[in-house]
Amino acid sequence: MLKPYHLAAGALLSVLVSHPLAAAEEKLLNVFNWSDYIASDTLDRFTAETGIKVNYDVYDSNEMVEAKLMAGKSGYDVVFPSAFPFFARQIQARIYQPLDKQKLTNYGNLEEGVINSLNATDEKILDFAVPYMIAGTGVGFNRGKVNALAPGAPTNSWDLIFDPKWSDPLKSCGISVLDDSGEVFAAALVWLGKNPRSEDPEDFKAASAAIQRIRPNLRYIHSSSYINDLANGDLCVAHGYGGDLVQARDRAGEAKNGVDISVYLPVEGAQVVIDVMGIPADAPHPDNAHIFIDFMMRADVVGPITDAVGYANAIRGTDAFVSEQRRNDPVIYPSPETRAKFFTVPPKPQAYIRQLTREWTRIKTDH
Amino acid sequence: MKTRLRPPGFVTSAMIFAYAFLYGPIISLVFYSFNESKLVTVWGGFSVKWYSELFKNEGLLNAALQSLKIAGLSATLAVIVGTLASVALTRFGAFSGRNLMQGILTAPLVMPEVLLGLSMLLLFVSMEQVINWPQTRGWLTISIAHVTFSIAYVVVVVQSRLKSVDRSLEEAALDLGARPWKVFFVITLPLIAPALLAGWLLAFTLSLDDLVIASFTSGPGATTLPMLVFSSVRLGVNPQINALATILILLVFAGIVVAGRVIRANKD
Repeated sequence: MLKPYHLAAGALLSVLVSHPLAAAEEKLLNVFNWSDYIASDTLDRFTAETGIKVNYDVYDSNEMVEAKLMAGKSGYDVVFPSAFPFFARQIQARIYQPLDKQKLTNYGNLEEGVINSLNATDEKILDFAVPYMIAGTGVGFNRGKVNALAPGAPTNSWDLIFDPKWSDPLKSCGISVLDDSGEVFAAALVWLGKNPRSEDPEDFKAASAAIQRIRPNLRYIHSSSYINDLANGDLCVAHGYGGDLVQARDRAGEAKNGVDISVYLPVEGAQVVIDVMGIPADAPHPDNAHIFIDFMMRADVVGPITDAVGYANAIRGTDAFVSEQRRNDPVIYPSPETRAKFFTVPPKPQAYIRQLTREWTRIKTDH
Repeated sequence: MKTRLRPPGFVTSAMIFAYAFLYGPIISLVFYSFNESKLVTVWGGFSVKWYSELFKNEGLLNAALQSLKIAGLSATLAVIVGTLASVALTRFGAFSGRNLMQGILTAPLVMPEVLLGLSMLLLFVSMEQVINWPQTRGWLTISIAHVTFSIAYVVVVVQSRLKSVDRSLEEAALDLGARPWKVFFVITLPLIAPALLAGWLLAFTLSLDDLVIASFTSGPGATTLPMLVFSSVRLGVNPQINALATILILLVFAGIVVAGRVIRANKD
């Protein structure tokens, strides 16, 4: 039986709660993005042009987005996960809706190289995602110390880390690699001249041997400590994410502490992380989300973002909107030759991941 | 001959070490808020620019306000519910289910946060499917989740205070013809007020501090300060956060001084 206080409670609840679904497309958009991943005026410009107000939240890991979207009813309209393995895996869980390309008038602005690279790894991904930013994994090094300890070292190649000839003398001033088995094994594979996507047991063994050979030279295996240590001059060579390495270099420059950090994407090939924009299947404002994604494919919008955050974008014709200094930066604006060597790695089968994790744990603990 | 139990200077050095251990990190945090460099641990000269940038950073300020709002709301609700529960547990004898209630109330003290956060998230999602509420998760759902675990702390504090209060005062008031409600408001409540304040502050701090549960139960437009700080780690913690933390430490310090005064005044 329905009692009066049930109604009262119901009325109270409906007052307490806003109804995002009631008006199908109110002028609102909920965006969930990595922190520090847009320019300071991007959202204001979007709101000024379209009248759509943006709720902007940030996250720190792909796992957080995955957890929110998998639980359902996250309330977000646009999210920015990394394409591989996250977005590709999430498509299989049916948590994204296909993009309506008719509504994306700026789709032609996308760079073909990036499109091809995404397509080559997973042909379904472009039905659901638009590429946003690209970050290569590279190497940062302390120019003064490397020149002193290993004169003539090839500072454009994975040799600096994997070739004992250069790696051994640099041991004393510190080398680090990322605590990411996929990244390190892929780097070892390209250094060996093999396909970084290879799951062949022989290649796996060779890569593992290459890493174990230089294991004693590694001061630590960590995914963020190197930013500070490079900038402070406590570390000589670091395998790291492009954006982080650029940050270490810039901070060292600002601190005027005599530390000169250079960053490069190795000539043999660099693994890239492509972050993409997608619309969750249960997004409350899918039309606004399309408008936003379309906005984010304009050169005059994305250029300033690249300028602000220091990541390469996937849009053509952004040069005019990027400062000279950024354009001349081979990490943010890689040369066509480097771009041609970019590679992505598709999600691996469970059995391979198990083997990889076991080997990685052994390498990490054994020294 | 008098034997010394302690080596000379033991107390002083122990105190210095203890204070250095507790406050060293905080001092370095405050110190680096005046750092010119953008990298927190690289000293680049004295500057107050991060304070002025902080007041221009809407996202950070909004998150701080959001956190204060959630903490204030959830602490207040937790104190109300927690006090009622403590009174029921200490003043109403051995009613049936009393032990169960005690156990359930204090369970969040030992429950892992991840478990609590995930279960609240699943609860909100299934509630949405059944009673169509809450349609969006946000500050309200975070507050509800925070109330849930804060109650446990409030109950512990208030219950122990209630047990130590002289019951004859309440009985005398009842004898003199006061109704139970009046006794509660006029006699019991003032007597346990310091515990209420302590419980409120504890709940407030826990809510302000919480990252895990808030991350699970938040939704669009509801980023709390810990969530923002944690997510900015990817690009290195920004000295603006040091500046904000310095201001918060000042506020908390002032709050503790005031609360201490109130509690001491109440004791006298």
